[in-house]
Amino acid sequence: MAYDVVVRNGLVVDGTGAPSFRADVGVKDGRIAEIGAIAPGAGAREVDAAGRVVAPGFIDPHTHFDVQLLWDGAARPALEHGVTCVVPGNCSLSLAPLKAADRQRVVGMFQQIEEMPPEAFTTAFDWSWEDFAGYRRAIEKALSINVAPLVGHSVIRLWVMGAAAQERAATADEIAAMQDLLRQCLEAGAVGLSTSFVDIDENGRPVPSRFAQFEELDALSATLGEFGRMLQCVPEFYDTDITIARIDQLSELSLKHGIPTTFSPVFDSRATPNNVPRIMARVEEQFARGARVWPQMQTRPIDVSFSLLRPSLFFARLPRWVRVLRQPVEARLASLNDPETKAKMVADLGADGGERMMGKLVVRGGDAAPADLIGKTLGEIAAARGQAPALALIDLSLENGLDVAFLAASTGHEDTDRVTPTPANPLVHIGASDGGAHISSFSTYGDTGYLFSEFVRKGGHLSLEQAVAKITGETADIWGLKDRGRLKAGLAADIVVFDPDTIDREAELPAFDMPGDGMRYVRGARGIDTVLVNGQVAYAGGAYTEARSGVVCV
Amino acid sequence: MALTTQRRFTTPGPDETVEELASRALPGEPLEAAVDRIKSWNLHIFAGRKPAGLLLGSDVVFVEPPLG
Repeated sequence: MAYDVVVRNGLVVDGTGAPSFRADVGVKDGRIAEIGAIAPGAGAREVDAAGRVVAPGFIDPHTHFDVQLLWDGAARPALEHGVTCVVPGNCSLSLAPLKAADRQRVVGMFQQIEEMPPEAFTTAFDWSWEDFAGYRRAIEKALSINVAPLVGHSVIRLWVMGAAAQERAATADEIAAMQDLLRQCLEAGAVGLSTSFVDIDENGRPVPSRFAQFEELDALSATLGEFGRMLQCVPEFYDTDITIARIDQLSELSLKHGIPTTFSPVFDSRATPNNVPRIMARVEEQFARGARVWPQMQTRPIDVSFSLLRPSLFFARLPRWVRVLRQPVEARLASLNDPETKAKMVADLGADGGERMMGKLVVRGGDAAPADLIGKTLGEIAAARGQAPALALIDLSLENGLDVAFLAASTGHEDTDRVTPTPANPLVHIGASDGGAHISSFSTYGDTGYLFSEFVRKGGHLSLEQAVAKITGETADIWGLKDRGRLKAGLAADIVVFDPDTIDREAELPAFDMPGDGMRYVRGARGIDTVLVNGQVAYAGGAYTEARSGVVCV
Repeated sequence: MALTTQRRFTTPGPDETVEELASRALPGEPLEAAVDRIKSWNLHIFAGRKPAGLLLGSDVVFVEPPLG
């Protein structure tokens, strides 16, 4: 056979933003061999794409699949959404390089920052590595999806400085050692370095990267410059002035060392209507100077679900609630049943008893949620009970074994009319999905489908070709993934076949598929027919295949 | 291309205290007043952090109030 696979009769959207055209796509030895009219029967496997779009596989540049990839090489459900390449290791955290003695410390950070259950780190795999090359070998055993991993600044610091990484500035010798270590990681396949200016560990202490002087980041950026690789950071996204200061710092590093930089997230909010316009104005000024400082914006609105069964970022600004909910179940129940503690928790909400923060919460389910309350707001329930909303939340949870799930819907980034013009800006990098993180608070999957349903079909602010380019060719260019992101002869055959009229994300549902029967929220995909990774069909007809053709693809 | 004026900031030196930073950033000010100003312009450090006032090497410390 001339080709291993021929994707036939589809509308080719090639990832460049150019107008679509009808053609067949021939794949041979993992690469795109031809795009054009291909003779019937030329493929060992033929994929009928009539009425469908044939596009490059989508690239998700902000994920935390670091641990999931060790037991699930498809990063489910990312692959079924058409995502063929993920970037884990964001926000200063990766699972390598990491000495055995420091594992528990980093696991605590992952649990705190990314809300991952401890069982994910203790029951599903054997820690067989310390260095970055070892982690790469561990995930490469069964990858169905491509991975372009970042290495975390916090773990690099921890490797070199030990406990002092969370106590002080580094010495010149320590900075030099960090540069050597970063260099080893980049040579072993890291796509860049991630850092964080906001995160804390499970004890409330700032993560190691936050103890770094700018000189340390400058030195590490010089090492990135040797490879032309990415610097990613999480800025203080809740404060526009600080975010602009970070844009200026990143721009200085970009210009000095010739590296791309990116920061995430950027949120639109009615409460801070000037945030995105001010950020974008500064980004445009810095790009005009030659800096590369890419703002990452997610497509989906911010929805947060929670129950009192486990800690949630919903309570991030209520330290007492965080302390109570972090306790083991028995102690947590004792605290919630203690009248004095309960009164203090309610008082923390202020004079309105939580009406403003909690009144619009909706009971969404949970195994023990009373059926007649599902769909009602906590404000309605509290009024019927004659209680303050915060007290009603606690008591309703206690009455039902804590297994009542609440939904805070559209708490930000929800006004499509405000958000829509921004993703179309050529300087906005579509990303920030957080895939694989915050798994018990919201689904981080399906942002790509939502891009097409909300911003192409409904809003009409992006053309089909523009939307595809945003999450394929443009993303590959930003990250230096030269072999990905476009349908072009000679490039890796990462291909997604989808229905442009139906591609979307499904409803958010709880799933119990994490190690130790841990719960996470997921969204299935709609309108995705077939996904090829490096020339092999990895997903088709609503099912994953046995293909393990993913690679570390830097 | 010239950059528009944004709020000026500095970053703490190694082991630098808020008093030392305030003296450096606002050299013409009496120390106590300078410290008070630095604190009032940087609530993300001096009100929102535990322990309050822990200065980190990566901190953005504003040396003037928000621009009008």
